[in-house]
Amino acid sequence: MEKFKSIIRDYPFIAFIIAFVILAFVPSVVFTDVYQSHLATLIFVNIVVAAGLNIVKGYCGQVTVGHVGLFAVGSYTAGTLFLYLGLGFWATLPIAIIVTAFFGVAMGIPSFRLEGPYLALATLGGGEAIRLFIENGNFFRSTFGISDIPTPSLMGYNFDSPDRYYFISMTIMIIAVYFSFSILRSGVGRAFMSIREDPICAAAAGINVKKYKILAFILSAMFAGAAGAVYAHMPPGYIHPNNYTVIEMVTFLAMVVLGGLGHIWGGIIGAIVITIVYDLTRPLYKYQLLIFGLTIVLTILFMPKGLGGFIDRYFLEKRFKKKTGTEKTT
Amino acid sequence: MILKTKQLSKSFGGLKAINKVDFEIPKNEIRGIIGPNGSGKSTFFNLVSGIYDSDPGSYIEFDGHDITYTPPHEIAGYGLSRTFQLLRLYQDMTVIDNVMSGYHTRVPYKFFDAVIGRKKIWDQERAIKEEMMELLSFVGLADYAELNASELSGGQRRLLVLARAIAMKPKLLMLDEPAAGLSPVNVDNLMKIIMQLKEKYGLTLIIIEHILKVVMDTCNSVTVFDHGQKIAEGTPAQVKDDNAVIEAYLGKKMDDEEMRKALAV
Repeated sequence: MEKFKSIIRDYPFIAFIIAFVILAFVPSVVFTDVYQSHLATLIFVNIVVAAGLNIVKGYCGQVTVGHVGLFAVGSYTAGTLFLYLGLGFWATLPIAIIVTAFFGVAMGIPSFRLEGPYLALATLGGGEAIRLFIENGNFFRSTFGISDIPTPSLMGYNFDSPDRYYFISMTIMIIAVYFSFSILRSGVGRAFMSIREDPICAAAAGINVKKYKILAFILSAMFAGAAGAVYAHMPPGYIHPNNYTVIEMVTFLAMVVLGGLGHIWGGIIGAIVITIVYDLTRPLYKYQLLIFGLTIVLTILFMPKGLGGFIDRYFLEKRFKKKTGTEKTT
Repeated sequence: MILKTKQLSKSFGGLKAINKVDFEIPKNEIRGIIGPNGSGKSTFFNLVSGIYDSDPGSYIEFDGHDITYTPPHEIAGYGLSRTFQLLRLYQDMTVIDNVMSGYHTRVPYKFFDAVIGRKKIWDQERAIKEEMMELLSFVGLADYAELNASELSGGQRRLLVLARAIAMKPKLLMLDEPAAGLSPVNVDNLMKIIMQLKEKYGLTLIIIEHILKVVMDTCNSVTVFDHGQKIAEGTPAQVKDDNAVIEAYLGKKMDDEEMRKALAV
């Protein structure tokens, strides 16, 4: 067991390969109908977005409310590339990631001068502007949405139904989570955190604040772009501007906040919980937004570090007690 | 000379916070900076570490680099580290992360290696962590490594900030009131640790301090600021008897004639 642990520590991707293998068997073993595969794909898309949002908001502390705009850019890059050039998933995915990264730069530039609620307002405007631009542009088929975006196929095998597309979204999710883990556990993650805590002190400690802020925005934009492309190609392959409103943004925020801002698992736990709850409470759709708003407020009030921080705390106190023999009183 | 300023000035509106200060400090010296509140000591630190831009005509040189208009993170890269009067602790990070973030300028790997997550990265990260744990146990905080920095007591916070500033192995360390708010016993302990660190890493130190005993006992030389100007410089004994210094702290000595005039107005 010890040896296994040290191997995982040196080569973390092995853990992700194991996770991949386990998840690959889930549809055939656990799922009873196609809808559950569809739901799983939605969870994976949300995990990718939330993991990206956790980088910029949880770790770097930049309050961005325009992330759903970047998600839309990813989706619509994929959609328009198919519509006008007939490109398939394997071409649109990398292009969507790159295009969204540029939009991430644009979204990040205000963060040089704005902070907290002011930055939130600026990015909210940015995200809404992107949606309105799509909604009112004939180029993007405005409110008709883009339909019949094809599912990807690999070596003659077409991932054309939800239980097949599951493998695509799952693979992308595993890769994205792996990248977010390696980034956040390295010195880069620490630099992000110091900027969140105190930018002036971070600068005095040798961290290039502007560079790391824009880096956080680019990284999270790339995550959103990948998620957007996966979402666009998801069967039945239909995207509409109404999928990218502020309401979706609130859902993404609720994921990150509930999972734990600045916790490495934060976005992932939150995305799983919120997506499932969202689906189960569909009959109560009138109250869903109320519930998510309340979730954000209550989590920040009573569990500021989210579920992730809550679990961490428990183990930490155990370890501290073992080490020093005293109870901690906080 | 490791740090040299010429005609260093900074004004906020009409107020000249720092007015044409020439300052020099050779390697391995411990320099104390004293002066009444508002005399420009902290502004001087902020100018040297690049947090404020100095006014035109100023010149700052550190270790052979002209750093007059260099942004703070590059100055830190040259080996200048500082602490803040208000600590600026990373409250929501663990103690060990606080110290490791001070290591930033010495992190050996590149960003893309970190993204891919190669084995070499984790080896280096572990080496950094071990080194920083050593530093933490040196200042006596090893047991608290995994706690949040906000859970430490005031004295422990001062030690943590010191450890974080040392983590980059600076050539010059500038301490802004390291002992503020500590009890006399803790002050002695802190100064002992600072002296040990100086020996261990071969530091040059600049210390702003209001506790004159600390300054007089530990510093090789003292600079006195008042109203943004350098009014005296020399060994602690010289400075103690300097008329300008006594005037800045206690007021002017008047003869009878002057006293009568002052009271009549």
